[in-house]
Amino acid sequence: MRGRRFAVSSTLVAGLAVFVAACGGGSSGSSTGSTASGKTLTIYSSLPLQGASRTNSEALVNGIKLALNQAGGKAGQFTINYKSLDDSTAQTGKWDPGQTSSDARQAAQDKSTIAYIGEFNSGASAISIPILNRAGIAQISPANTAVGLTSNAAGASPGEPEKYYPTGKRNYVRVVPKDTIQGAAVATVMKSDGCKKPYILNDKEVYGQGLATNTSDSLKTAGIPPLGNDGWDAKAANYRSVASKLAGKGVDCVFLSGIVDNNGVQLTKDIAAGIPNAKIYAPDGFCESGWVSPKEGGVPTSLDSKLQCTVATLDPGSYPPAGKQFFQQYESKYGKGNLNPYAIYGYAAMSLALDAIKRAGSNGNNRQDVINALFSTKNLPSVLGTYSIDKNGDTSITDYGLYAVKNGQIVFSRVIKPNAG
Amino acid sequence: MGTNPVPTPPDFDLHSDSERGLEAASIPVRATRAAPFEAVQRFLSRYGLIIVLLALPLAFMASDLAHGHGFSHILENLKDGLSNGAIWALVAIGYTLVYGIIELINFAHGDVFMIGSFVSFGMWGTLGVTLGTGTLGRVGGLIVAGAIAMIACGSLNVMIERVAYRPLRHAPKLAPLITAVGFSFILQNVGLEWLGGSQHGVDDLVDAQHILLNIGGVHIINADVLAIGITIPLVLLLVAFVQNSRLGKAMRATAQDPEAARLMGINVDHTISLTFLLGGLMAGAAGLIYALYNTTIRFDQGFEAGLIAFTAAVMGGIGNLQGAVLGGVIIGCIQQISDDRINSTWTPAIVFAYLILIMVFRPQGLLGEETREAG
Repeated sequence: MRGRRFAVSSTLVAGLAVFVAACGGGSSGSSTGSTASGKTLTIYSSLPLQGASRTNSEALVNGIKLALNQAGGKAGQFTINYKSLDDSTAQTGKWDPGQTSSDARQAAQDKSTIAYIGEFNSGASAISIPILNRAGIAQISPANTAVGLTSNAAGASPGEPEKYYPTGKRNYVRVVPKDTIQGAAVATVMKSDGCKKPYILNDKEVYGQGLATNTSDSLKTAGIPPLGNDGWDAKAANYRSVASKLAGKGVDCVFLSGIVDNNGVQLTKDIAAGIPNAKIYAPDGFCESGWVSPKEGGVPTSLDSKLQCTVATLDPGSYPPAGKQFFQQYESKYGKGNLNPYAIYGYAAMSLALDAIKRAGSNGNNRQDVINALFSTKNLPSVLGTYSIDKNGDTSITDYGLYAVKNGQIVFSRVIKPNAG
Repeated sequence: MGTNPVPTPPDFDLHSDSERGLEAASIPVRATRAAPFEAVQRFLSRYGLIIVLLALPLAFMASDLAHGHGFSHILENLKDGLSNGAIWALVAIGYTLVYGIIELINFAHGDVFMIGSFVSFGMWGTLGVTLGTGTLGRVGGLIVAGAIAMIACGSLNVMIERVAYRPLRHAPKLAPLITAVGFSFILQNVGLEWLGGSQHGVDDLVDAQHILLNIGGVHIINADVLAIGITIPLVLLLVAFVQNSRLGKAMRATAQDPEAARLMGINVDHTISLTFLLGGLMAGAAGLIYALYNTTIRFDQGFEAGLIAFTAAVMGGIGNLQGAVLGGVIIGCIQQISDDRINSTWTPAIVFAYLILIMVFRPQGLLGEETREAG
């Protein structure tokens, strides 16, 4: 009898636990209701405001604020409230999965949320997209480039991108070209620089691994297949043996596919010392002052001539008139010499969000209508030039900027027009 | 303490000759079947550890020779392992000293090492030692910075013992373990406040990767000389101190039996503080070498380094000074061989696979001895 009573009570407890867990599991998309309440809507941004990416993120936030300010804080008939969130923590010094998740949940639980600008890192978006997808909130990234976030083309991992969209509907777009383009841009530069034996090192994150695959494919197409594509251990004390291995293979060019926060400064120093004649290339994940400025703990200026990086941003002179005007207005608001190339993407992301709300008309507070408006973006004139968003959420813009390093600063070198096929 | 290891007892044979003969006579078939197995077992127990340790370098050496590359490549790996391992050895000594005397895993020790790097970096900034400083100025500045880092880490370690471990001397073992974890987090946050969350490149004051000598294709760089040149004298001094000095003997006595040591008039509290001081001094020196060797420091460098150093201490035989050094060097070599020949992605897994194999063949570690806890 006691045994039966125990079995019954155990079943009840287990059932209750499953019920509670099921309720908890669904809480991430709590305000799934498709209409944000009231005439005041909120747009969140979630970016790493600490660590090596801080400078870029602050520029993005400034760009976002400038776009909203110039729109008079309105989109169509709706007043827009902007909230900036931080997806990094002091402990990690870079984006943090827990913090990213927390940011996305905060936006998902706010009934006034209409759009979410973020993340800066593709690995972080891999966490926030499913949460916002369940909540039916439009997400616009001003910096993500990983292919797998939007398509299953080369560079995507198995299960991508479907695993990010649990509802089966898309809610994520980006205003920067994906890594198929960046990989092709890197290959174009390496070929024109005369690289014969390139090698790829990746940081094993969503972004780093995907970009490494794209770059490897593009290098093969360019006729200079890489001698290898290895992961690096972000926790290692140094990479001297890795450099020695590459030197032994006669490597003349190294592409560091990842983010600088993953011990990129140490890796760069060791590669430069171990292969003195090698040219070192890095993507947008490295292209920031924390990599090259000794004042910010970056590599010494003696390495400047060996380093180049690619970013989807161009110099002010390479943008259309609207872009040039943006840079003037940005400098007049935030001060001369304070211009960071990412600012224009913050501006473009917020402008796209405002434009989508406006295009949704009186349904501008309807989340799904705003998402539909985003995906129907066609030939939109912007500070970046005229662009469209395709069915996957990718932009039609393909230009990449090549940057060199001089006196510990990243300086624009030239525009690359890659052939990504 | 491992400076005077207890002599290994001879292999005890529980069976007398007559018993063995009796067994052989009564169960002849079983004895014949067991013989080859026992022979293999005997061979493995005698040489298994050596085979495990030499497998990786010998395999790659053979591969090099087969490809006509000679010995220089593997020697270069081992040289890199030796200099990297020297840093782990200095940190491992702190773990092994503390474990040897109070049987506590001082989880905060890796972070004390991190503070050593930060103090060194701060001190050469305060002293104005930069890339523009002359050789004499740099050497003088680094000696002063190193001395201050050692004193700072030594004092910090003593303070941690006094505040977090001594009051818990008679508490359940879990209690000081948790306070150790707590102090680890406190120190990490100090580092975080100090230089922020990002990696921090520091001036390459010793031109770390400058090739000083080329001996048969093995490149000796400044960083190698620095790491080995500081570690060897420090370890020798420490061993001499523990073996020969009065205080060292007190440490060994306390390690063997604290109560008996107290009865013999040894101030056990002071002796334990001294042990923490010595561990901290070594961590401070390791912090300085790490900063100069790698030229990048980070607030959480102590976590990874602490894990590796603790593994080195266990591998060498926790409680044994020479074992800690040997463990550090072996781990350094495995890391370098793996980074170079396999893939740095696999390095942590390979290091810990080695640890498991060594523990299987020799649970007390390479030079280990029985601790009070083990009996």
